Amino acid sequence: MKRRSMLLAVILALCAGCSSMGVDPWDRDVLAREEMALIADPLEAATDDHIYFSKEATSGGRGFAGGGCGCN
Amino acid sequence: MRAAAAAVTDVAVRSKDPSLTAALASATCVLLGTTTSAPVDAREEPTWDVSTSLLYYGEDGDRVRDLSFKSLSRRLYSDDRVLTLGLTIDSLTGATPNGAIRQDGVQTFTRPSGADAYTVTTGALPLDDTFKDTRLSLSANWQQPAGEKGLVNVGASASKEYDYLHTGLNAKYAHDFNQRNTTVSAGIAYAYDTIDPVGGAPLPLTPMLDVGDVSNRLGDKHKDILDVIVGVSQVVNRNLVVQANYSFSRQDGYLNNPYKVLSRVDGVTGETLPRAPGPNGGPSGQFLFENRPDQRTLHGIYTQAKLNLGGRVLDASYRYMTDDWEIDSHTLDMRLRWPVGPSSYLEPHVRFYTQTEAEFYRVSLDDSQSLPSFASSDYRLGNFDAVTAGLKFGWKTRNDNAMAVRVEWYTQSGTIPAAQIIGNQAARDNYPDLDALIVQVSYRFGL
Repeated sequence: MKRRSMLLAVILALCAGCSSMGVDPWDRDVLAREEMALIADPLEAATDDHIYFSKEATSGGRGFAGGGCGCN
Repeated sequence: MRAAAAAVTDVAVRSKDPSLTAALASATCVLLGTTTSAPVDAREEPTWDVSTSLLYYGEDGDRVRDLSFKSLSRRLYSDDRVLTLGLTIDSLTGATPNGAIRQDGVQTFTRPSGADAYTVTTGALPLDDTFKDTRLSLSANWQQPAGEKGLVNVGASASKEYDYLHTGLNAKYAHDFNQRNTTVSAGIAYAYDTIDPVGGAPLPLTPMLDVGDVSNRLGDKHKDILDVIVGVSQVVNRNLVVQANYSFSRQDGYLNNPYKVLSRVDGVTGETLPRAPGPNGGPSGQFLFENRPDQRTLHGIYTQAKLNLGGRVLDASYRYMTDDWEIDSHTLDMRLRWPVGPSSYLEPHVRFYTQTEAEFYRVSLDDSQSLPSFASSDYRLGNFDAVTAGLKFGWKTRNDNAMAVRVEWYTQSGTIPAAQIIGNQAARDNYPDLDALIVQVSYRFGL
């Protein structure tokens, strides 16, 4: 119960922190650029996800882990 | 505007010239905000955004090679509605480690089909060179706003290989807060996969048999995978946006690799126990098919930052994953997009990955000990580090489309826990290290 309260307090503190961050809508010029998107190149990201899914034991995290055999 | 319309009308009234009538029509359209030249308008506002790429992935030592075509087509509608269609065609060839250890002597193995045998030279890493597959993967996603600050995305995916069928559904919801500076998202995905191994799925921990003997093979197998992701992204300031995700994945069903075996070895010398092949050929040693638990639960934390540094954009991410197979992994990924001139850029990329071995990872099976319930020598379940280093060059073409070429090297180097090395194995390289070259050429255009 105490741990849960602590966790809640941390989440609330983070949310309070978030509300003071950010920019006004007219200051989004840099953020609106394509290369500032969290996934700037979806095709390349999908390619990498599939390569590492096939060759490593863990995958996903950024998005869903993806499908396929990965038996080779 | 009223004055302009009056002036055009005045000219038209005073002249019967057809060219002036056309000019009038054109001017009227301009004033009404419409246009008579629809094709030009279509080019100015593309409704399809198509990304395509050709990928070459090749591992050293005649191991796996993949030639892949990928496309991701986005149909952009008004009001943020987007249809995304994905297509991948992979052509895979080459050899892959079969899981057995090296020996000072020629080794023979029965192929997965059970119809033939192959030979591995003295001291060489046992590779199964039968591997050849074509993979077709399709996906479709629909995104649309939900209310003023919400965004819904639903999708389906399917992929087919010779021995494998994947089908999946996914859904995601994202909600903006704090003047769209904070976005909280939650997603769920479910996949149902069927594996129909060449020659049939082998009974776990039973021996590889002689050519023509498929008595320990079963039919096809299934697994299902449930993924859940919750995340938050936050605009920190004009130049920095950060993201954090928690992911949960639960896999149930047949999680074995049906083509991997383990060498059964002498408890003192570490040499593979010999076996006399049948008249039509067969294994020269005792090799048992692997077995993994039929359930796996993973938890992951993914964090990412995108930082604008005076026009150069740093993309840095860190991921930690842990699961009940006792595999822990850490991944650090960094890219720096560096503009070169007004319409091109260079992007160096490095990635560091490390993972611990699964609790049932075994390089070989000690004959002096009882057989474990679960065992696999699949190098992907071992303890290894991997490094990716690469460079991408991207530029705008004359018609304002985007081209990019990237070249990367991927290398894996693993270690076997010392307690698992028996006798003569200490003198051999038991982990199948991997070096691969990745070349991707991509082209993006609007329609």
